Amino acid sequence: MSQPAHAVVEFREGLPGFEACRQFVILSGPAVEPFTIVQGLGPDAPAFAAIDPLRVVDGYRARLEPADLARLGAADATPLVFLALVSAQPSGRATVNLRAPLVINPETLRGIQLLGAESAHAVDHPLRAA
Amino acid sequence: MLVVTRKLDEAIVIGDGIEVRVLRIGRDSIRLGVTAQPNVPVHRAEIYEQIRRANAAAAADAGTLTALVTRLRDDAPEPPEE
Repeated sequence: MSQPAHAVVEFREGLPGFEACRQFVILSGPAVEPFTIVQGLGPDAPAFAAIDPLRVVDGYRARLEPADLARLGAADATPLVFLALVSAQPSGRATVNLRAPLVINPETLRGIQLLGAESAHAVDHPLRAA
Repeated sequence: MLVVTRKLDEAIVIGDGIEVRVLRIGRDSIRLGVTAQPNVPVHRAEIYEQIRRANAAAAADAGTLTALVTRLRDDAPEPPEE
């Protein structure tokens, strides 16, 4: 993708800690690649840097329950977009939350943060292997 | 806090149609069944709290985010080979 692209995605439940913010602009493009900017709309809305988890861990997979698909308005075969939030640690290293990725249905423009009971992935996976 | 005693296979109903039923009672744990509409999210409290903290650590305002992304691009993984 060479053109900047953006879309407004609705997170009906908000994100844990930011429950009041329901709409996020998803920005990607050459200026921020390989990252994606997830910018909340409204006063005091948070913004995040995010990355496709597949860029961080080969073969990354996250398990979605039928209720998750229902909240996304998605069918089993709907292609979904996964974005893991990036944190800059005080040490200067960056980590990626692979435990609870954002999952977006580009067809309905609805998103959730996946809080499954079990996950093999860490909330603070290193962005880049040491 | 409302405190209710329930026995095995008894339930409580919260609001409009959310049911929480005791399915099994073990020594250190009980198994609960939650019945709710799909649009009602049900999360384990400790996971929600863990992710709340992770989200707070990841959040930035728009200005610092631009600087962060600029810095991190040097540190980002290479794109996968086609």
